[in-house]
Parts: sequence; structure tokens; C-alpha cells
Amino acid sequence: MSDKKTIGAVLIAGGGIGGIQAALDLANSGYYVYMVEKSPSIGGVMAQLDKTFPTNDCSMCIMSPKLVEVGRHMNIELLTLSEIKGVEGEKGHFQVEVFQKARYVDMEKCIACGACTEKCPVKVDDVYNEKLIKRKAIYALYPQAVPLKYCIDAEKCLKLTKGKCGTCEKKCPAGAINYDDKDKTLTLNVGSIILAPGFTAYNPAGKAIYSYDNNPDVVTSLEFERLLSASGPNQGHIVRMSDHEEPKKIAWLQCIGSRDINTCDNAHCSSVCCMYAIKQAIIAKEHDPSLECTIFYMDMRTHGKGFESCFNEAKEKHGIKFIRCRIHSIHKNPGDQPGQVLDYMDDTTGKVIRDIYDIVVLSVGMEISPEVKELTAKLGIELTAGGFVKTSSFDPVATTRDGIYVCGALQGPKDIPQSVVEAGSAALCAGSALTAGRNTLTKTFTAPPEINITGERPRVGVFVCHCGINISSVVDVKAVRDFAADLPYVEYVSDNLYSCSQDTQDFMSKQIKDLNLNRIIVAACTPRTHDPLFQETLLNAGLNKYLFEMVNIRNHDSWVHKDFPAEATLKAKEMVRMAVAKVALFEPLTEARLDIDQNALVIGGGVSGLSSAKALASQGYKVSLVERNSYLGGQAVNLFATSKGESIQDGLNAIITDVEANDKIRILTNTELTSVDGFVGNFDTVLSVNGQSEKIRHGVTIIATGASELKPDEYLYGKDPRVITGLELDRKFIDKDPAIAKINTAVFIQCVGSREPERPYCSRICCTHTMASALHLKTLNPDMNIFVLYRDIRTYGEREALYKEAREKGVIFIRYEVSNKPVVQATNNGLEITVTDHVLKRPLLITADMLTLASAVVPYKDEKLAQFFKVPMNADGFFAEAHVKLAPSDFAVDGVFLCGLAHYPKPMDESIAQAQAASSSATRLLSQKSINTSGTIAKVNPAFCTGCEVCITVCPYNAPSMIMDGRDKGKAQINPVLCKGCGACVASCRSGALHLKGFEDSQLFAMIENA
Amino acid sequence: MSEALKVTGGKSRIKEKALVLIPDGNLSACLTCGTCASGCPATGMMDMDPRKFLRMAVLGMDDQLENNPWIWVCTMCKRCYDVCPMKINIPQLIYDLRAEWPREDRPKGILGSCDHHVKSRGGAMGVPLEDFKFTVEDLAEECREQEGFEDLKVDIDREGAFFALNQNSREPVTEPDELLPLWKILHTVGADWTYYSEMWGGENYCMFLADDPNWEMIIRAQCEHIDKLGCKVFLNTECGHSFYAVWQGIRRFNIPHKFEFRSIVEYYAKWIREGKLPVNSDWNKTGIKFTAQDPCNVVRKSLGDKFADDLRFVVKQVVGEENFIDMVPNKSNNYCCGGGGGALQAGFTEERQVYGKVKFDQIQATGATYVVTPCHNCHAQVEDIGHHFGGEYHTIHLWTIICLSLGILGENERTYLGPDLAEFGL
Repeated sequence: MSDKKTIGAVLIAGGGIGGIQAALDLANSGYYVYMVEKSPSIGGVMAQLDKTFPTNDCSMCIMSPKLVEVGRHMNIELLTLSEIKGVEGEKGHFQVEVFQKARYVDMEKCIACGACTEKCPVKVDDVYNEKLIKRKAIYALYPQAVPLKYCIDAEKCLKLTKGKCGTCEKKCPAGAINYDDKDKTLTLNVGSIILAPGFTAYNPAGKAIYSYDNNPDVVTSLEFERLLSASGPNQGHIVRMSDHEEPKKIAWLQCIGSRDINTCDNAHCSSVCCMYAIKQAIIAKEHDPSLECTIFYMDMRTHGKGFESCFNEAKEKHGIKFIRCRIHSIHKNPGDQPGQVLDYMDDTTGKVIRDIYDIVVLSVGMEISPEVKELTAKLGIELTAGGFVKTSSFDPVATTRDGIYVCGALQGPKDIPQSVVEAGSAALCAGSALTAGRNTLTKTFTAPPEINITGERPRVGVFVCHCGINISSVVDVKAVRDFAADLPYVEYVSDNLYSCSQDTQDFMSKQIKDLNLNRIIVAACTPRTHDPLFQETLLNAGLNKYLFEMVNIRNHDSWVHKDFPAEATLKAKEMVRMAVAKVALFEPLTEARLDIDQNALVIGGGVSGLSSAKALASQGYKVSLVERNSYLGGQAVNLFATSKGESIQDGLNAIITDVEANDKIRILTNTELTSVDGFVGNFDTVLSVNGQSEKIRHGVTIIATGASELKPDEYLYGKDPRVITGLELDRKFIDKDPAIAKINTAVFIQCVGSREPERPYCSRICCTHTMASALHLKTLNPDMNIFVLYRDIRTYGEREALYKEAREKGVIFIRYEVSNKPVVQATNNGLEITVTDHVLKRPLLITADMLTLASAVVPYKDEKLAQFFKVPMNADGFFAEAHVKLAPSDFAVDGVFLCGLAHYPKPMDESIAQAQAASSSATRLLSQKSINTSGTIAKVNPAFCTGCEVCITVCPYNAPSMIMDGRDKGKAQINPVLCKGCGACVASCRSGALHLKGFEDSQLFAMIENA
Repeated sequence: MSEALKVTGGKSRIKEKALVLIPDGNLSACLTCGTCASGCPATGMMDMDPRKFLRMAVLGMDDQLENNPWIWVCTMCKRCYDVCPMKINIPQLIYDLRAEWPREDRPKGILGSCDHHVKSRGGAMGVPLEDFKFTVEDLAEECREQEGFEDLKVDIDREGAFFALNQNSREPVTEPDELLPLWKILHTVGADWTYYSEMWGGENYCMFLADDPNWEMIIRAQCEHIDKLGCKVFLNTECGHSFYAVWQGIRRFNIPHKFEFRSIVEYYAKWIREGKLPVNSDWNKTGIKFTAQDPCNVVRKSLGDKFADDLRFVVKQVVGEENFIDMVPNKSNNYCCGGGGGALQAGFTEERQVYGKVKFDQIQATGATYVVTPCHNCHAQVEDIGHHFGGEYHTIHLWTIICLSLGILGENERTYLGPDLAEFGL
């Protein structure tokens, strides 16, 4: 088999956010990607969400650019309505059988005008809206769907089921309907496979205790997302579905379909529900501040970055009530009264309290669907006891079948950032396996030579879009077109049903060439999604892509003025006139091209840094691995076992051996950075290696500087040798300290130094670590008495199994309030620990031989490093990523990436996954070999510059700098590579020396004059 | 704040025993989530609730649990066990702790009933078989005087009868007239049935007493005797705990038997569907409202919603679909009335009535005039809390309204009907 050529293509099963991220990483790194998606469009669950924590960005808005990029990527082939049926072969050369259902709509011809849907007589449950409303049998999944192509529901369509109707065919102006379309089976040849099919939300139907069946006021959390969403059934207006009255009280019930082995078979914690319930409650309160929101929970699991402060804000700022009680059951208010009755146990009185809520949201957990489980069985992939794909902590995205990788919820319940991290990790691994086939199957775009328009009179072409009926039902499109025809410099005008359709692109390209048009305006929708499409059309026609302007007569006009067609038409005309005035002044802009140095610098020799170095080397890049200490391994040197029971020492030694043996990696211990110069693609860093200065050049940097364990100053730590930290206990385990097994009573105290005013974040790893330690103690001595004093147990995901096992083996868990912490006294008989029991409400006295403090993970707060790379830190001292959800391993600063504890406390598997994800991001950049910068950037006119340096202060991207010598010494200059064209410097420049290309004063004044 | 309680965290009698004896008995698995307590009508009574009870067991406070009277207030209705996310069998723990009590210290009412049953080899009321025979024959004679029932037959130990009827001794002993409607129904459908003599009383207080040997002895004797008679179906009348005593007894003690064990409510439904029991709701022209109680022992603890659906089918056929107002919550998630688990005889009257307030409020919310209780304990408790809390509803068995609907309810068979129906159809 080894003589077979490695296939440089990867199949990704699943088009949710994980699959999308992996696809983009791979397609931008020299691999051809097949994305196999079961539904008619990609986007997955994230596309259904309203707003996302913590930025309150609309989920669709942050996702849409990625959807569009996947849809337009020349190295990503989308196979919608498709499923994997079987896989033959092995790593490097798999043959995948894919079954693709007929769409009955020709994707090439469909212009997504919606005429078919409008007249379709069949109503079907709208799955995208969680069946809260109906859609038609011919449909697009959602308005921003990619691909935005309609699809016929074959099971419901009258024509396909009964041979009647045929309305859509008659109504389709593009002739796209094809009732004779057939299902087909394809065989794809790929080198690696990534499984990213996502999760299914737990379905509470059929369970009397939830009162969900036939009770519209009990909704699942996904249904509530749709109710919150402006694109949902009520346009984001929250109402009680039964009578459309506004709710006054809403309750969330946590752990529905999670942490429950009785009413369902889901022992795991679903990891995300606590945080989304808080988010939903906050957003609901933003809709109506008088709303009463209550969350009923068992343990509040806000273990992610920024989660705990959000939880605190929810309580203190937003007044959201948190009641610690799992509700037995929900029932309707008897009689005709609306509302749901909830009885809960009141801890303070020991009585049951009854409360009535208008809406009850079931915070449903994550499950793997039976179909996906069937697929994994067919592929011969092992699952965990909980039914998720089995992986090792040291190879966190590799399934048990070589060459098949996993990311997202299939590997275990997880949130969006962690899924995105794993997607990067899976992309890195899938790519590393195929380096021999890299760039063998990918296509590259070559534009025709650019026509020189210098000195030519502007010849403007204006294309006005109907956008189906989106624009033309309000705006008189033909009138706008005719109006544009009479404007100065306009040579050509036309109106198009859909300007973005492929045939319009071809037509536009032909008109540019035939009529020598040299400025183009498209009056249609939003440039945010469509600018790149039209710019590409210009490039294809040989025109500089910056000679283009979009006018948004849909979002800014027809949609918002739909009741005033005459005025809307007038506004469209004015907008077009402004754009024509502006575009006439446009000049071709050039994009700087920059070579990227192919070497990498990894800072930090812990597990994250080691894994990053190894990952980058596996992609063929040379790496300098810098470690401040004399040894490699970081915190892992003192860690005993992972949550899956693997020996960390064995795992660490294996990585170190690999890294040391790799001739692409240069290990530099006792080394620190003394200065950093340059920028993405060309960093010049001076190192102090054992005190010797050395300069290295590198194209990318990965920051993996880790964190450390807090040395506590409470509970007699440092004063009594029987009080130790979690890491110190691990050291005893590693050293096989014989005294440990002889201990009679061991106590753990959680949250030592975490979740306190001084360090408000949750350290994420301590609960799981304590479980593993307690269980190890029980292995050493099954009769040992063990107590864990905690605030909330946060064994998220499948780690919950450890908590359950610990309880089952007799470990006693006692919850304390932060206002009433345990008290420790040293006596000759042992440590006397007094703690108030959370159920009995009375103090308990435990005499312990050993007290282990689950101490906080503390960041290094390396200000110097932050300064060197201009990367930000958050209030807690962890480095701040580019985007909390979608770019967790990137910095806003190009060419610098982030992983491990430096980002946030996390266990071994997550650190390694993030190390690989950061390396995947770095690979995406390095594999371009060179990058084109944007043409729309700031420029300094040195004649006006006073050298005040304000631009340097305001720029978030480190683009401006002072010229150090020559004629313009002391003046500012803009690095075109770093400039993002935001205009902050232009606005702040007091002497008018800065201007932004494409937004010149003259152009903007021309617009104003024509307004 | 009370003095600190020393805890060792080690093994304890209750935990160890539960682990060995009770399936789903790992008490340490408790999440202290509050699900059990939030759904339990006994929460807060005697400063106790199921979660607290379990917590004390986990912390090794055995001494305080082993003689805690709360175990006689808990009705072992299993509402907690059904939903506990860790599936911890609290009711079985309560049962086992009842069994730990010195027998003579257990509540007198329950103890006496069990002893009577064992001693008399009849029923909990200690009535000898001869008296039972006499009552039955006397009443049958009376019944045959009524029009249409001239051929009515009631016998005991008739070999080869299809049904063996499990008769609670409450009717023959304290309200014999209540027997007649049941017999009339059986006569109407042409059922081939007999009473049996050995342990003829269907009730089983030994089960409530957590007296395993005697519970088993009674059921085993019944089973052997019925198999000897060659009956195909062992038919339980409208009684929850007697149903559960047999249903669970057969399972718990692994008792061999050839018959099928069924509830008469299932048969009411079957007979109505087959047209053998031609009930209708035409009589209820004024729209008298009815609700129904789901006996925990037959619904949640054994037959589930299937039985609850049969019960509703029968009631609706008899009183009219629109005249049936369901309780909320209902079926398998309904609340225990508070009379189960021996509570009516346990002596904790005040607690039992407070417990029953939940049921009383549920009934009041339906606005129904009649509560159908196909269970003796439910019947007694629902009646009692109705009086205690000032309710104006009436509590009836199914046989009463079935016969009312059929126009065959005799003058003396109306003890539990309200004035609106006391003379209806006579």
C-alpha cells in the first residue's frame, strides 16, 4: 500500500462551525476539501442561535462571513443532502462512499428568488425554527443559508408524492426545478477524514415530568434561542406561545437530559447549558427589564473563560435569580389559568415552595444521534462508555482508526470555542498525515492581466438588483436604473433579478470588456457578504478590484422603508447618485505582496509549546522552541494522571523524546526574549540563550507560556506539613510516597484562590483533578475516608463520570458557602476541619490526616511579552484571543498565536488540542508563502505629519511607526501589511497627514455634495 | 448554631446494608440535587425530607435514622425514585428501615392488622372464613331479590372458575352493601368467577409492616390455593395496595404461579370495549364533574400509564368525556393521596392529613363533585382529607358509577354518593 500516492484531499463530515473551521484551515493550507453535510445547507446549530456570549454578537453575523468563504472557496467542494455510507482503504488513501439525496432543484440554475416557496401549497414543520412554525415543501433552510439554493422536501412535496401540483416548476423563472432528479452515490478519494457531525439536542418529548408535549409554554433551550432571535418565529419578541402574551416570569431548568441516568441514559454533563441559560436570561432581561428570570440548577458550571464573571454579573447586575434545586416535574397551572407550576425545595426553610412561571425553558443537553453512532460503528471507531468518540488525552482528535479524526461535540459535549479549537487541531492532524500530497489537488486563482486605466475618463457601469422581490417589491428598480443612466460618467446601466447569480457575473464581466467600463457600481445588498464576489468578477474582467462600489439598497432601504415605496425609490436614486460621484474619483489601488519567513518561534516548553513545535514540524516547518527554565515539560512535570487515567509522565516523556529527536526543532532552554522587531511573516527576535544574545528570524510566533499553581495563604498552608496543594499531592503520587496509602482520612478543599474577588475566574481543572486524585487514593486504600469541600462541582463533559464514581466509592461531598468557608485547626490527632453541611445546615467536624487544597491556576502576567508582540491580556492576566468564539487560538495581531494555560486554565487534552489549533492557524499563514495586503489602507503624507505619534497610540494593529532616519525622519509611516484599514489613525490625525485609500476626502465630499 | 457533629466518612450500617440489599441502593451516589424533596408531599414533616434522610445516611447518622418515625409518614409512593437522576431507591430504603424496627415497636395499627391476618388466615380484620361465607351467602340472597339478578351466583373455592377474585375484607366486614355493585357488574358481563378461602382477604398489612416473612406467607398461600383451583386469572378488585402486594410479592419472593394477575379496572375497560358492559353517560345530563385518583400502587409502582389510561377510559365512558376533569399532575406523575404505605393505620394522623393537603388542593383545583378512587386506601384518605379540610366533594369507587350508569345501582348501595345522586334512577 505504501507505493500508493498520498491523496492531498480531506473529507469533512458535517458543516457546522467545527467542520467549517477545519475546512477553511485545510483548504487554505494546500488541501482539497470535500464537505459532506446532511442538510441542504451548512451552518449547523450555531446558525440557529440568537446572540452569543460574551460579546452579544448575533451568531449568524459572526458566522456568515465564514459560511460565505466556504461557499465560495475554490478548494472546498460542498456536498449537501449527503451522508457517508462507508469508508474503505486507509490513511493517505481512503475511498469514501457518499450518498447524496436528490435536491430536485438545479443548483446551477437556482437564483434563490423565492418564487417557488411563495406559491407552494404544502406546509411543513420548519426544522430550522425548531418546528415552532411552518415552512413550505420547497424551501431554503434559512435566509442566509450557504449554498443559498432551494430544495424540495421529497416526503412532503405533492408532485413527488402524488404526481399532482407542479406549481414551483411553473413559478420558477430560472427553470431550475427538476422533478426527475435522482439520489446518487459517489465515491470520493481522500487522504484523511474528519468527523464533525455535531450533536442532537435531548428531546424531552414523551416524558410526563417535563409537561413538554402539547404545552407550548414549556420550550427547549434551542426553541428559546429561536424565540429570542430576530429571525425567529416572533421576530425576537418574546411571548408565551399559548396566548402570545408577554411573559412576566421565566424559569430555566438545568440538566434536562444531562447528569441523569434514570429518566434518560445521559450520565455526562453537557458542558454548555449553564452558560447558555445565563446568556438567555440576560438577553431576555434586555428585551424586558421587568422580566423575572430564575435558573434552577444543581451546580452552576461556568468554567470557561469569562464565564464566571458573567455569572456574577447575571446575579448582581441583572438580578437573575439562581435557585439550587433540581425540579421534580413541571405541570400546567390547573384550570384555565396560564402558567407552569414549579415546586422547589427551599434550602433555608426545608419546605417546598410553589411558584408559577409563564414560560419554562428546558436547558436540554447534548446527545449523539443514533445515525451518527451507527456511522462510527460502520467505520470501526470506538466510543466511550458515554457514547462519544474515544480519544487519548495526548492525541485529542485522533479516533481509534488511523487517518480519521474527530472534532466538536462528537468527541464529547463542548462549546463553540472548544469546538473551533478542536477543528484546528483536527485540520492540523489531517493535514500532517498528507504533507506528501499537499498542493497536488488544489486549484489556484490566476487573474487575467490588469487593464491600465490611467488617464482614462471614468466609464461607470451601474447594475441595479431586484434581489428577487426583496428590493423590487418596494423600490422601483427600473426607475433607479433609468435615473442612473443620466448621471455623469455613466456609460451603461442594467437591472438584474439576482446580481449575485453566476449568469449575472458572466454577463457583468462581458459588459465590462465589451464597453470598456472602468468603474462599477452594484446597487443591491450588503458589501459585508457580497463585496468579494463582485471584486472577483472585476478581476476576471481584468479590472482593478478597487474600482468598485456597492450600494446597499436592500438592508438600508427596501427592508427598512417597506411601507414607503415612493420615498424608498427616491432614497435608492440618491444613494446611487452618491456612489456614482464617489466611484468616478476612484483610482486603482495596489496590494503589497509580502514574503513570509518559513520558520516558527514557539515560546514555552511545556506540553502546549512542545505540542505546537511538534505540530509545526510535522507540517514541514522549522521551529525554535524557547523555554525559560532549564528543563522541558512545564507544569506537566508535576502532574500524575489525566482525567482518563493516562500517566502524564509517560505521555510527557513521549512528547519530549519526539521533539528532541526532531531535526526540524531547535530546543532552546534557559532562554528568554530580549526584544522583538518586525511583524507577521518577518519577525526579528533577539533571544538570550544561557545569557548569550542571539537573533532569529521567524514568520510566525506561538505563545505557550503557561501558568502556575497558586501558593495559598489560607487553611494553614505553609504552616502545617499536612496541608498541601493539588500539585504537591500529584508529586507524592508520582514518587509513590508510601505514607499516602496509610492515610486514614483525606480532605480536599476546592476553589482555593479561585472564584474570589482577587481572582474571580474559575480555574476549570481543579474539580476534575480532585476527582482523579480522590479516586487514586481510593485505589491505593479503598477504606480511606475522603471528603471534598466544594462550592460547585464542575466536572464538565464526560468528566462527570469521575464525580459519579467518586461518590459511588464513598467520597463525601460537602458544599460550603464562600461566606462561610471551612475552618482548619491543627491538633496532634490531626487537622480538625469544621464545615457546615449544605443539606443539614449544621457544622460537621472532620479529623483529617491530610488536607489537599485545589489551588488556583495563576497566569504569569508577562507584560514584557505582551509588549513585544502587542498582544492584549484580560483583567485576570490571561492573554486575550482575537475572538472569544471563532478565533480562540489567534491574536488580533497577525502572525501571533496562542495556546495552553496562557490562554486560560485547561487540562492536558485541551492544551494539546489548542497547541495543534494554533499550529494549524500558523500553517494556514505559512503555507501561503506570501500574503497580499489590502489596498484599502492608511497612508501618511509626510509633508503634513508633525510626528505627534497619536496614530501609534490609537492603532490596535501596530501598523504606524516613526521613520527613524532619512529625509522623513521623525514622521509617521504605515506598515501596509499590518494596516486593516479601520481609519482610526486617520480620524485621530490632527494635522491631516493621514488618509485612507478608497475613502479619500475628495471622494467622501463628492458623496456629500450629491446627497 | 448547633454543636459540630463529628463525621468519619467511613462505612456505616445503613449504607453498607443498602448497597448489598437494594438494587439501585448506592446511597453515596446522591447528588443532593433536591429532586426527591421538591416532589415529595412528606417534605418538611418532622423536619425531614427524602434528601435530608439520604444525606444523614451518607454521613453515617444511622442512630438518628434507625428509629426515625418519618419512615411511617413516607408512603413509599416512589415518586422520588421515578425521577431521581441517580436512580436511588429511597422507598426501598424506607421499607428496609421499617423492617429494622423491633417488630413490637412498629405502629400498632399496622402491626395488629398483619397479626390478625396471619392468625385468622383470612384478612386484616381477623374475620374468620365462616363469617365471610355467611356474609357472602346472605348478601347474594339479598341481591337475587333485585330485578335482573335472580340468577346471580357467588361462590367460594369453585374449581375451574376463570377468575379468582381478590376481595378486600373492608366491604364484607364493614360495608357489605358495597359488594353488590361489584357482583352485579360481574354478573352483567357473564364473568365466571369465584372467591377463594385461603387467606381470602386481599389486603396485606404485613407488607406495610415490612414483615417480609408474613407478606410472603400470605401471597404464597393465595397463589398455591388459586393454582389448585385452576383459575386462569387472579383478579384484583379496586384496591391499590392489595394489587401491589400480590404483583410485587410474586416478584420479590419469586413465587411460582400459573394464573395471570390482573386488575379489575383493566377488565372494566375491556368489557366496555367489547360491549359486554353497556355503560353510557346519558344519565349525566346535568354535567356533574368527576375526577379520578391514580393509586400509586397500581399506576406508578406497577402497571404505569397503561392502567391510568384504562381508568380514564372507564370514567369517561360512564360520566361523559366532557365531565371528566383530570388532576394536575396525573397518571404516573400524580401525587400519593397520603393514605398509602400503611399511613392510615400508622397513627401519625396529623402528618397524614398535612401530607394529604397536596391531594386536597389538586382535587379542589379540578372543581369536581366526585373523586373516583379505585383503591381502598385512596378512598379512605381522600374522604378523610375532604372532611378535614372542608371539601365538598364525594369519594366513590368505580363500581358505584358503573352500576349507576347501567341503572342497576340499588337503594342501599349509595353510601358515598352525594345528595344529587342519592336517589337518581331509583
